[in-house]
Order: sequence, then C-alpha cells, then structure tokens
Amino acid sequence: MSSAVHAEPMMLKRRLHMGTAAKQAAFGYAILLPTLAILFIFRFLPMLEAFVIAFSKFDLIHPAHFVGFANFVDLVRDPLFRNSARISLIYVVFSVLPVWPLSLGLAVLFNRSLFLKNVLRSAVFMPVVMPAVVMAVVWTFMYQQDGVINTALGWFGIDPIPWLRSSSTALPAVILIGIWRATPYYMVIFLAGLQAIPTEYYEAAEIDGASRWSMFRDITLPLLKPTTLLVMVMTVIVAMKVFAVPMIMTGGGPSDSTRVLPLFIYQTAFEFFDMGRAAAMSVFLFVAVMLFSVAQIRIFTQAED
Amino acid sequence: MRNLAAQVATPPTHRNKPAESLLRQAGRHRGSILAFVLVLGAVAISVLPYLWMVSSSLRTMTNMFSIPIQWIPHPVNWQSYVLAWHAQDFPRYFFNSGVVAVAITLGNLLLCSLAGYSLAKFRYFGRGLLFILILSTMMLPLEVTMVPLFLIIKRLDWVNSYQGLIVPFLVDGFGVFLMRQFMLGIPKDLIDSARIDGASEFRIFWQIVLPLCKPALVALGVFTFREAWDMYIWPLIIVSKDSLRTLPLAISLFMSSYGTAWDQLMAIAVLGTLPMILLFFFLQRAFIQGIAVTGLKE
Repeated sequence: MSSAVHAEPMMLKRRLHMGTAAKQAAFGYAILLPTLAILFIFRFLPMLEAFVIAFSKFDLIHPAHFVGFANFVDLVRDPLFRNSARISLIYVVFSVLPVWPLSLGLAVLFNRSLFLKNVLRSAVFMPVVMPAVVMAVVWTFMYQQDGVINTALGWFGIDPIPWLRSSSTALPAVILIGIWRATPYYMVIFLAGLQAIPTEYYEAAEIDGASRWSMFRDITLPLLKPTTLLVMVMTVIVAMKVFAVPMIMTGGGPSDSTRVLPLFIYQTAFEFFDMGRAAAMSVFLFVAVMLFSVAQIRIFTQAED
Repeated sequence: MRNLAAQVATPPTHRNKPAESLLRQAGRHRGSILAFVLVLGAVAISVLPYLWMVSSSLRTMTNMFSIPIQWIPHPVNWQSYVLAWHAQDFPRYFFNSGVVAVAITLGNLLLCSLAGYSLAKFRYFGRGLLFILILSTMMLPLEVTMVPLFLIIKRLDWVNSYQGLIVPFLVDGFGVFLMRQFMLGIPKDLIDSARIDGASEFRIFWQIVLPLCKPALVALGVFTFREAWDMYIWPLIIVSKDSLRTLPLAISLFMSSYGTAWDQLMAIAVLGTLPMILLFFFLQRAFIQGIAVTGLKE
C-alpha cells in the first residue's frame, strides 16, 4: 500500500520526464528535417542517380536505356578522356605543391612582429576577395601577347610568351592563377594554426639557445601537423574541382591542353548531350576525390609513428 | 623529435644570455628586414592585378597596350564604365546575383544553425548516423553531381528560375558542421533553466542560443555569401534566359562577345569585384575568420 503511494509520484515524474524527453527529441528531429530534405534531394539523390545514368545511354531527348559498362569501357579507351584525366592530374600536382610551402612561409612571416602587419596581411589576402570569373577576365587580359606580363618580362630581356595561345604554356598559365588565388587562402588557415601554438614553447626554446630553424622544425612543424594535413587534403580537392578559370580563359584549348576533368564533364553533358558518358566521368571524379583524401590522411598517420 | 616540444615546455633552470645576445640581435634585425622585403613582394604580387584592372578600366583603347606602361591613365576614360554598364542589362545581373547570394546566405544561416543545434544539443535515435551523412555531403561537390542534379531540376521544372539557382544550396554540410561545433560549447544548463522558466523550444533557440552564436554566424554568413556571389558552373548549366543571368555568367558572356573592348571588360570586372571589396573592408575580421574556420575540422 505504502509503496504504491510512493510509486505513484515517482512514475508520474518519470512519465513527465519521458514526455518532455520525447518532445525534445521530436523538436530535435523537426529542426533537422529541412536540412535532411534538401541534402537528400539535392546531394544524395543526384549521386545515386549518377550511378544509374553512368550505366545508360541518355541524350536528354530520347528515353534513357541501360547499356551496362559500355560508358566506362568507352571512357577507358577514349584518348580524349585519358588526356583530360592527365591534364587534371598535372593541374592538381603543380597547382598544389607550390601552395603548401608558399602559404606556410607567408603565415610564418605574418606570425612575427612586422611593420604595418595588419595592412600588409589584408593586402596579401586580396586575391581571395576577387571573384573567380573576374580573376579569369583580368588574367586573360594580362596574358595577352602585348599584355602587361609580357611587357614586364621584356624588362628582363625575356621574349614575349604566347601564354593562352600555345598548348605548351596555356596550362602553366592557368596553374599560375590557381596558385595566386590559393596561397593567401591557405595562409589564413596556417596562420590560425600557428596562433594556436602556445608561445611558451618558443620562449623556452629561445632560452635554451635554439636557432629559428630548429624551432620551426622541432616545434612549429610537429604542432602544425593537423593543420598541414588539412591544407593538403583541401588543396587537392579544390584543385580537382577547378572549372571556372579554364572554362572562361581557354574553353579547354588550345588543342585540349587545359581540358581538366570537370570541364570535360560539363562539355560532354551540356555541349554534346552525352549524359551517360558524363555521369561515368563524374563517378570517376568522385572516386578520385575520395581516394585522394583517404590516401593523404593514411600517408600522414603512418608517418607519425 | 616530437618530445622536444614537451622538453622545451619545462623552463630551464639556468640562463646563459649575455654572450650571445649582441650577435643574436643583429641576426634578428637582419631577419626582420628580410621578412619585410619578402612580405612586400607577396603584397605586390597580390595587389598589382587589382591596380592593373582599375588602371586599365580608365585607360583609352589607344593607350591600352602602350609602352612604356601607362599606370596612371591619361586621358582618363570614364566612358568605359558608362558604355559597359549599358552594353547589356548589368543592373539586372547585379540584382539577380544579389537576390541569389542573399537568399542562399540567409538560408544557410537559418538551416545550418537549426541543424547544428539539433545535432549538438538534442538526444534522439540515429543522431550519430545522421551527422555522418550530413558531413559526407562535403564529398559530393557540384562538379561531381552536376549532370543528375540538372536532371532533377529539370524534372521539378526549375530550369531558368530563381528557385533552381537557390534551393539546392540553401544548406551545406560544412556549415552544419561548423554551427554544431560552435554550439557544443554552449552550456546545457543555460538551455535547461530556460526550459524550467517555461520558454518554448523554438524561443530558446531564437532568443538564447542564436545570439550566443553571433561570431560563428557572421563568419558563416560572409563565407557563404562569397561562395554564392562567385557561383559560376551552376548558373551556366541551368540559366539560358537573359533575364536570369547572374553576374559571373554575364561577365563571362560579355568577354566572349566584347573580347577586345578591354576598357569596358575591366570596368565590368571592377564593378563585379566592388561588392566583395566592400564586404571585405567592413567585415574584414569575419571574412578572414570565415576562411580560417574552414581549417577548423575536429
């Protein structure tokens, strides 16, 4: 009897609690719902559909029909695709490798006391502020045969370079812009990483008589490892997605020398209306993006021990 | 090697400074001059294309490629701005870009913080899995999904429409992640005591949680606006109507049709950059913060 009397308010309390917990969970679901809906419809569904289309022949006009691995087989045999994959690989390697030391170096320079530091930092950051399309237009202008870059090279006795007009210099020209744009971006990320390192480490090392280089090698680099890893992964992924600059500056030419993979996907889909083949390339790009991030994280964690 | 950081963290007991200090000071002085020169070089590389863009927009076509280089235009060619502005419907393109970028930014601010709040402060079945799913959308960039996404938009009959330009980007996996990380730091007690006071769940979010997230919101907002203002590939795919062109699309088309009118092209380039410059000047901290936090995973 008495236990029942005691139990009642306990149960009531628990039921009340359960009620509010359930209500809270419902609210939690409810506010997550719009995000889930949008991401499902506009991210996951397209990815799933990409896999389906990749196995079909589809030109937007006639109904799609299943063709098995034909698109993939065609791709592997297609010299244009192989060329495009090669161009993308070259773009990634050469636009990414210089950015790592350059952005880290700049961050280190800005992490010390410097005359007019804030103004200079904002100035260095300016390439990030410029819209990508504007950047493509302005650099196209500067790369003209009688443009300002060739004029400046002339001061050093260097003959004019045909930049965007030659298949041997167009890709380096596009890569150069990628570096120009990316370096200050990653400088900011490195700078945030550097500022998170406690200054006591450096003060103590200084008292021990450590040189600047050894401080950099033995304090900065190890403690900056998570940031560095992140910058490596981000730069590669961003470079794999490059589109606007080659699209506007060269349209993939001259003679396919700047036709990076995203550009080739776009042209296959929306200029040649071969959706199946474009989707197959998308799958390829998707796998490449994933492999790169996973592989890089792997390499880095192995190097740690 | 890694132990060194730990070693130096414990202060040494003796100091042997005086002998080295003069030499060191001289070295440091030389070092900071070198650093300054290097930084100046980087500043030049970063800023010169801007100066050249502005200078060229004000130069006459006859002086465009003159040698020696004419940094300060003479005579000044203001006409290029007027001509370019009226060459095509640029007011309209500015308006379109503004509408799209503002809508996407507001959408992300609201939806990313709602979703982040849910993932950070509520307990329910499947939360961990949902979080991972949302994060994994970061691996599905537009460059990969453009073909099927276009087909979906086509099925919705959203080709050539504002909703087609806006809705797919109203929320972003990284933005959700960012807001979640920030909201994890908000004390649970604060939320619970508001509940005891009888505040509704939505009111708690709107009046207590959201104001506390202001730094994260500003950073996310500026970052999102910049990306949305920059968007090129998507309008290129789904917009064919002139009246719906966004600025990047219009600028690239302007270049293909007015390819050699460099003064006008540079004038439009200046105008198209102006909103970003203004944003950068007024919200400089948030602008840089918005980039810095993209390095804030984990």
